[in-house]
Amino acid sequence: MSVFKNAVRTAAILLVAALFCFWLQKIGASDAQMPLVFVVAIVCIARLTDGYAYGILASVLSVFGVNYIFTYPYFELDFTLTGYPLTFATMLAVSVSVSMLTSRVKEQEELRLEAEKEKMRGNLLRAVSHDIRTPLTSIVGSASGIIENHRVLTEAQMLELVEDIREEAQWLIQIVENLLSVTRFHGESARINKQEELAEEIIGSAVLKIEKRYPEAQIMVELPDDVLLVPMDGILIEQVLVNLLENSIRHGKNTSRIVIRVREAAGRAVFEVEDDGMGIQENILPGIFEGKHSPQEGGSDSGRNMGIGLSVCMSIVKAHRGNMKAENIDGGGARMTFWLPMEEEQADGH
Amino acid sequence: MDIRDRVLIVEDDKSIRNFFRTVLEANNYDVIMASTGAEAYSMVTSQCPDVVLLDLGLPDMDGMKILKSVREWSAMPIIVVSARGHERDKVEALDAGADDYITKPFGTSELLARIRTAIRHARTAYLSPEGMQTGLFRSGGLTIDYDKHRVYIDGRDAGLTQNEYKLVSLLGKYAGKVLTYDYIIKEIWGPNMKNDNRILRVNMANIRRKIEKNPAKPEYIFTEVGVGYRIADPD
Repeated sequence: MSVFKNAVRTAAILLVAALFCFWLQKIGASDAQMPLVFVVAIVCIARLTDGYAYGILASVLSVFGVNYIFTYPYFELDFTLTGYPLTFATMLAVSVSVSMLTSRVKEQEELRLEAEKEKMRGNLLRAVSHDIRTPLTSIVGSASGIIENHRVLTEAQMLELVEDIREEAQWLIQIVENLLSVTRFHGESARINKQEELAEEIIGSAVLKIEKRYPEAQIMVELPDDVLLVPMDGILIEQVLVNLLENSIRHGKNTSRIVIRVREAAGRAVFEVEDDGMGIQENILPGIFEGKHSPQEGGSDSGRNMGIGLSVCMSIVKAHRGNMKAENIDGGGARMTFWLPMEEEQADGH
Repeated sequence: MDIRDRVLIVEDDKSIRNFFRTVLEANNYDVIMASTGAEAYSMVTSQCPDVVLLDLGLPDMDGMKILKSVREWSAMPIIVVSARGHERDKVEALDAGADDYITKPFGTSELLARIRTAIRHARTAYLSPEGMQTGLFRSGGLTIDYDKHRVYIDGRDAGLTQNEYKLVSLLGKYAGKVLTYDYIIKEIWGPNMKNDNRILRVNMANIRRKIEKNPAKPEYIFTEVGVGYRIADPD
């Protein structure tokens, strides 16, 4: 928050307190109540501004202000009256300690957020290392297989090994794309670059990419009749859709049909990716977006890239201030739903 | 002996250069290589390549600088090679006069298609000089009639408004090439139009509803997310 904003908030709150005191004075309240009003004002200031400075500044101002304006003799500084010096000292002490306390709470909140981010990063790294090792092993194996045995291998065998290499490398590229997506908003500027994008364009582009890679995929798109403009980082949301589609194809095992649906509901753009595959195992469903589950739980292949793909999706959607959920649908298959807010957030929203 | 098109590859990574050379020579191109910006610049001036593949991240010089200085005196086709996620670089390169871009990692068929398109563009630009576009543009079921200012879809008038027609014909004029959002907005609504994406998006959505069977699976006008729009190649 800027210095200007902090100063304006401080001044506004003090003004309200002063006006309230004038009103109290008018209805004949005792002078002893004025400091209490200002203590409340200072608690508010300490809570709503950054650091200690504004709270302490406000308490000093209040001590002198109350003495000068609201206590007899009015419009004169006088610390000699019986009882008053103690009142003011108490007020200063209370104000300062409240400022410090609220500042400390805010600092702790920041630390907690930082720790959460760190945890997310750690989870991601773990998932990534696991996901990268398998394809790399296969690439190295196939390549050395060809180099060491090129005299005895038939052309068809060799081609098969090279095809494996290509497929595994493409897989690695996917993983790297996902990582790059995360750096797009975990980097310098934590704020993502939102622009109004047409939902149909982003979906269309993601579907096109998947169809290039999996030509046999049957993907249906259901759009609303009205034009749907959603504030988002188009590249990132495209990545989310690509990940979800790829999951449906690879992990649904017997997926024959995928439906992408988008609609507007209650100020949100809701995206759904639904498949008719084997669904998601109940035991991994709860932690599915955290990249937590180990591959052993679900057989040899089920863990591959699922962890990182989905945790990246979740980070992206969260960075848009949306949310995401995974569920199985009756009659087989899985449904992934995420929503994004339709309204641009305020420049300084909380 | 037939005359082969000459491709200049500007790329600092050895294995990617190798890959380019193998693929392009196998497809009957004459390939020359440069690994630094300075080398690239001297080759552009001395060897007159038919198309340049320019990697934006070079060790000694920003690729953009080469692009800009070549554009000062030559319209030779330049295809920029850039990584995904660097959409701003692509937009900047296109606005600085690059003919096209290709995103790393790419497949060979995509690479060859881009090179063919870029060379064809350069050739047709000689035949029909800048200015009024006349005649017909055809791609699948889509026909743009530049003389009548009409767009037909499977023989039926698509009923585009004036701005919608302007948008489609602008894309048709540069078929196969990506036009950036900014460029399109300036061309259609003039230079004073604020960088207002909304008006362009809404127009595009309306066009798609008139000419595409399924707006989410377009056949004619494609979105390059974060960069701009591209119309399908003519038949």
